[in-house]
Amino acid sequence: MPELAFVALTVLAVTTAIFALESKEVVYGAISLAIMLLSMAGFFILLDAPFVAMFQVIVYVGAVAVLIIFTVMLVREEKWLKVESGMLQRIGVIGGLAVGVAFGLLMLNTTLGSVIASGEAASYAQIGIVMINDYGAALEVLALLLAASLIGALMLARVDGEE
Amino acid sequence: MDTPLILIPLLGGVAVFMPLLEVIFKGEMRGKFSSHLAVAALLVALAVVIYQPLTSPLELTASSSGLFRNDLMGLFFSLVVLLVALLVATSSLDYMKGRPNEPIYYSLLLFTALGMSLLAFSVDLIMILVAWELMSIPTYVLTGFWKHDAKSNEAALKYFILGALSSGTILYGISLIYGLTGSTNIFQILRASTGIPDSFQSLAILAMLLLVAGLGFKMSLVPFHMWIPDAYEGAPTTISALLSAGTKKAAFVVAIRIFVIALPVLHLDWQLTFAILALITMTLGNIAALTQKTITRLLAYSSIAQAGYILIGLTVALQTELGLIGVLFHVFTHAVMQTTAFLAAALIAKKTGHTDLDSYNGIGARMPVTAFTMTVALLALAGVPPLNGFWSKLVLFTSAIGGDLTWLAVAGVLNSAFSLGYYAWIVKRMYLDEGTSTTHIYEPKPFTIVLMAATIVIVATGIYPAPIYEFARLAVSSLIGAA
Repeated sequence: MPELAFVALTVLAVTTAIFALESKEVVYGAISLAIMLLSMAGFFILLDAPFVAMFQVIVYVGAVAVLIIFTVMLVREEKWLKVESGMLQRIGVIGGLAVGVAFGLLMLNTTLGSVIASGEAASYAQIGIVMINDYGAALEVLALLLAASLIGALMLARVDGEE
Repeated sequence: MDTPLILIPLLGGVAVFMPLLEVIFKGEMRGKFSSHLAVAALLVALAVVIYQPLTSPLELTASSSGLFRNDLMGLFFSLVVLLVALLVATSSLDYMKGRPNEPIYYSLLLFTALGMSLLAFSVDLIMILVAWELMSIPTYVLTGFWKHDAKSNEAALKYFILGALSSGTILYGISLIYGLTGSTNIFQILRASTGIPDSFQSLAILAMLLLVAGLGFKMSLVPFHMWIPDAYEGAPTTISALLSAGTKKAAFVVAIRIFVIALPVLHLDWQLTFAILALITMTLGNIAALTQKTITRLLAYSSIAQAGYILIGLTVALQTELGLIGVLFHVFTHAVMQTTAFLAAALIAKKTGHTDLDSYNGIGARMPVTAFTMTVALLALAGVPPLNGFWSKLVLFTSAIGGDLTWLAVAGVLNSAFSLGYYAWIVKRMYLDEGTSTTHIYEPKPFTIVLMAATIVIVATGIYPAPIYEFARLAVSSLIGAA
């Protein structure tokens, strides 16, 4: 059963990811991106990580995807920059496939399939304790990182006035 | 208290509140106040970094769960990157004057400086990733700081997309390592990595390749260098100095921590990879530099070639102690020389409005201080004795011989001689060729102070290199120390 769910989620994730990039209508692209992010949450549930899955849904599907869809609708333009699909794109697709196949073969070459997950999923309390106690400094730096991204994004987006 | 834990609130706090100056001040005061504040914050940060080893011997307690390790290695690298950030901030006093969004420029500069110096101390892969991003994301914006300049936009976009990809590969590598060893702490990985079963060896190699690719992007190793010339050319030239002398060096400290400490069991695998990468990086960098028509692109390719030299030391790090000493030594000397060269180029670009090499004709008579410092920096980059670049290259090439890679040392020496061709060519243009104009150009104080100070460092450490060498030696021995 988990295998079946995994295959289904993989097919869903890959097809929606491709559609998000290739779709001519940006709104459809945004929606299929949201579906892709949702199927990622499915992977996390399969991996016994409900905490991560929950945050994936809240942050990515709930906030990010909705923001993207709103932005697309607000700044809707008739013409979007379309890149001609030429030789380079074909080379890119083949290269990407080659890397994917190589990674897959490497994985098959190991005894990864025989590994049996041990123990149960970590509780929320445990995650919180580790995050604050052991990774407190990393959490602080992460907050600074978000602030830096926000400041940078605001700078790029603002229209410079004449004073 | 640990140095990195003091730096976070210090630099982070100033950087977060700096954009408020945009609202509080008007006109010229805005830029003046924010630039002085940034310089002050960096000076205090430097003082904090220096203060600790002076007052109390560094606690070499590599706690098994710690995110940071307060050792001389981290100290050395954070000194270098903070120094570069300080030079960049000081010269920006003039370079950025009157431009829009000045407080934000300095705020992002401080964020990058914090990210770089935290990287120097990090010994946990999660902390490394977070600090890596804190270092990278502000530089994407800084590269595109000229919002209305198409070249700057292109540079930023290229840098951002490839940068995001490289962060992705690093994260992939990190997650594989965590899966294999069950820990993100470098010292625990060291203990676990001997216990990886043979059937997982291919995954370990994959993890290593992903990390080489991701880190190699910032270190500007050759197959991952495509973004460098475009980014350095499009970015504000002061930021090119920061990218070349700062963020690149921070990537090297991560490479040292991960490849030398955490993955020694894979040693045979990465030594040949690194040797080949070093060879093609320096050769391609030097050959490409010879054909460039603008100074920023030329310095970008020269910076790629220099990364190749540094990589020689990393390649033989496990055979001879000289390898890592050479890495540290050259990281220091290259940071100073490259910053000087880029900042001199920034001043010339600002005053003449050109970056093409033809505009350098006769600049020696028009901007004497700038041309002189540029000359010293270029000769040091080429490795002309008695400047500091000569000594650090000497240590690097000697280490290659010590590590039984004589062919790499020979290649390094040949490349170094070859590079003199294009460095000396610029010097010739500045002093011997006649330009279109001979009027004297005013050289602003912040720039000349920075350039002269850096030049004094280049000459002084060239004549008397012993203290830096000794510092590098101590830092290297502190690396494994109390593991």
